[in-house]
Amino acid sequence: MTSYLAAMAVFAGLYALMALGLNLIWGLAGMINLGLVGFYAIGAYTTALLSVKLGLPPLLTIVLAACLASLTGGIVAIVTARLKGDYLAIVTLGFSEVVRLVASNEIWLTGGTSGVSNVPGLPRGLLSAGEVNIAYAVLTWIAVVAAALALGQLSASPFGRVLRAIREDEMVAMVAGKRVLRFKVQAFMVGAFVLGGAGALYAHYVSYVAPDAFLPLITIYVVLALTAGGTGTMRGALLGSLIVVTLTEGTRFLGAALPDLSPVRIAALREGAIGVALILVLTFKPQGLLPETPARFTPEPT
Amino acid sequence: MSLRLTRRAGLLGSLAAPFVARTAFAQTETIRIGTLTPLTGAGGAYGPAMVKSIRAVVEKVNANGGVLGRQVEIISEDDETNPDAGVRAARKLIDVNKVVAILGTWASAVTTAVAPLCWENKVMLFTVSGGDGITRLPHQGYIIRTQPDSALQAERSGKFMLDQGAKRIAALSAQTPFAASTYATQSRVVAAGGGMSVGDIIYDATKTSFRTEVDQILKLNPDTLFLNSYQPDLAVLLRDLYRAGFEGKRFTLGYAANDKLLASVPQEVTEGLISYAPSPDLDSPAFKQVQAVIGANPDPYSCQTFDHASLAILAIAKAGTASGPAIHDAVRAVGNPAGQPVSDILEGLKLIAAGREVNYSGASGPCKFTAIGDISGCKFRFDKVEKGQNKLIELS
Repeated sequence: MTSYLAAMAVFAGLYALMALGLNLIWGLAGMINLGLVGFYAIGAYTTALLSVKLGLPPLLTIVLAACLASLTGGIVAIVTARLKGDYLAIVTLGFSEVVRLVASNEIWLTGGTSGVSNVPGLPRGLLSAGEVNIAYAVLTWIAVVAAALALGQLSASPFGRVLRAIREDEMVAMVAGKRVLRFKVQAFMVGAFVLGGAGALYAHYVSYVAPDAFLPLITIYVVLALTAGGTGTMRGALLGSLIVVTLTEGTRFLGAALPDLSPVRIAALREGAIGVALILVLTFKPQGLLPETPARFTPEPT
Repeated sequence: MSLRLTRRAGLLGSLAAPFVARTAFAQTETIRIGTLTPLTGAGGAYGPAMVKSIRAVVEKVNANGGVLGRQVEIISEDDETNPDAGVRAARKLIDVNKVVAILGTWASAVTTAVAPLCWENKVMLFTVSGGDGITRLPHQGYIIRTQPDSALQAERSGKFMLDQGAKRIAALSAQTPFAASTYATQSRVVAAGGGMSVGDIIYDATKTSFRTEVDQILKLNPDTLFLNSYQPDLAVLLRDLYRAGFEGKRFTLGYAANDKLLASVPQEVTEGLISYAPSPDLDSPAFKQVQAVIGANPDPYSCQTFDHASLAILAIAKAGTASGPAIHDAVRAVGNPAGQPVSDILEGLKLIAAGREVNYSGASGPCKFTAIGDISGCKFRFDKVEKGQNKLIELS
């Protein structure tokens, strides 16, 4: 049981990292990025290929992976500079599908749909299978806390204020003399760095990457996590990812409670439960469970 | 604020409840076996029947007093045809349910992702995935695969197409780990037999129309098309080929040309479609049992998972203990060629209890495995669709 909970904590941590990365791009800068699984995939593949094919140490490849994802993020931000709202969402969604299709078809590099297996992880000899999981959970959550603190600082800084200004009204920010495009690109790069880092951690934890692991479904889970938790705040991102993993995995235990239902019905019920939860949150808490409480400027009565 | 805390506490409490219940459950004397099949996602068409045939075996064994005097409990999880979800589901099966074996992983990507968990935790993995790389993983004997690897399948299908008079063969393949290798092997066989492979297109199975692919492949002027598809995309592909007026021969795989396909696509579209599959042993009592559970034409996967369950239970009986390593050590011993031929699980259990050697051959075939866990000595069946029904044309 402990190692199961630890494994789920790892996945929750990975979702939390992604939610944090997305929070900077979407929650603060207001750019709807539905391509986050693409950056996650770039991170995962980069670290997997560098460590399997070139034998580089995982610590180095994780950093390189995050940097490459960040660089790609910068390029995507420049390419989509003139897009906003739904249009940006569609293009970024397309980006993540392009990444997945390249991974499926460039067999010489990525192994195609067979993927890359035997990605080195923590040394298995020293720790038992259960301890490995706990070690990963601790490492992942250290990364989560570090990212949350760093991004929290960033969000409270003048940089964060500009991002929020851009989110609320780009024109106003521009009139105030802010170089909007530069801020957007920076936000995208920092966000993508975190997303790529999450992907890299995933690759070393699961020890296998394949295109099927990077379906748009993950993007939806992370968007759901951020929406449920509350966009714009770091703690919202953390709470949201815990909720999503609890929902998707906790519902697996429905089977024991409902022994009369066939496994197919339980599988359908699980998916239904996740959908209903999203509808409930959006209906009753459209700002998320831990919404952003902006320090508002209240004009003095005249 | 206090209200919110109570609510949260209530939520946590209700989430913890099933965990507590599960732990209590784990102390009973059942032998737990997990199934990890796709119930949703791209493989959702196959998983439900696979689970059904596993449950049929286990219910039969349980009704007869179980194995080693213990009841067998099946815990079924959904891998969502996704390696990520598959890993989480496998973690639950291994860490929480403490299963001794996981049966029925279908997608090659899921199997590859789940396999390391299995061998690290000494849990036996029975799979139906065809990806060539799977049995080459460093699995220390913890993988048994009942599906012939794609190289063997490609060789047989290539020869069969030549026998049917194919001269110019082209392939349309869903993007799978075995798409490229299947075409390469077929091309080699076809070239050696005097035919010609004129080209192949790999397509994205989630597309809703394949007109572009069909137009492209028909430009090559093939007289025979090999459709390396799954059932949902084959349904679309056949319609698009029909619309395009293709009149040559169409070959595909047994799991794609299943009853569900024939029911969902008009007769004139499927007429003459030839499919091949690693053949179940049509005369074996085990196959008849699968028919009784699934229907007259069970797909190869349901037959294979039927054997997964039978092999795992027989191996437990043979080893005398219920654990992953026990199944690992005994799974080949229940197919001892010198033993008494058996295809009924209860008969097998009876003989093992009497201390006799058994030679299990199941619904999917003889169930003999090589050192790395691949099936050996497997027959193939070839079916042709006539008036919306699959008719057996060759078994070899």
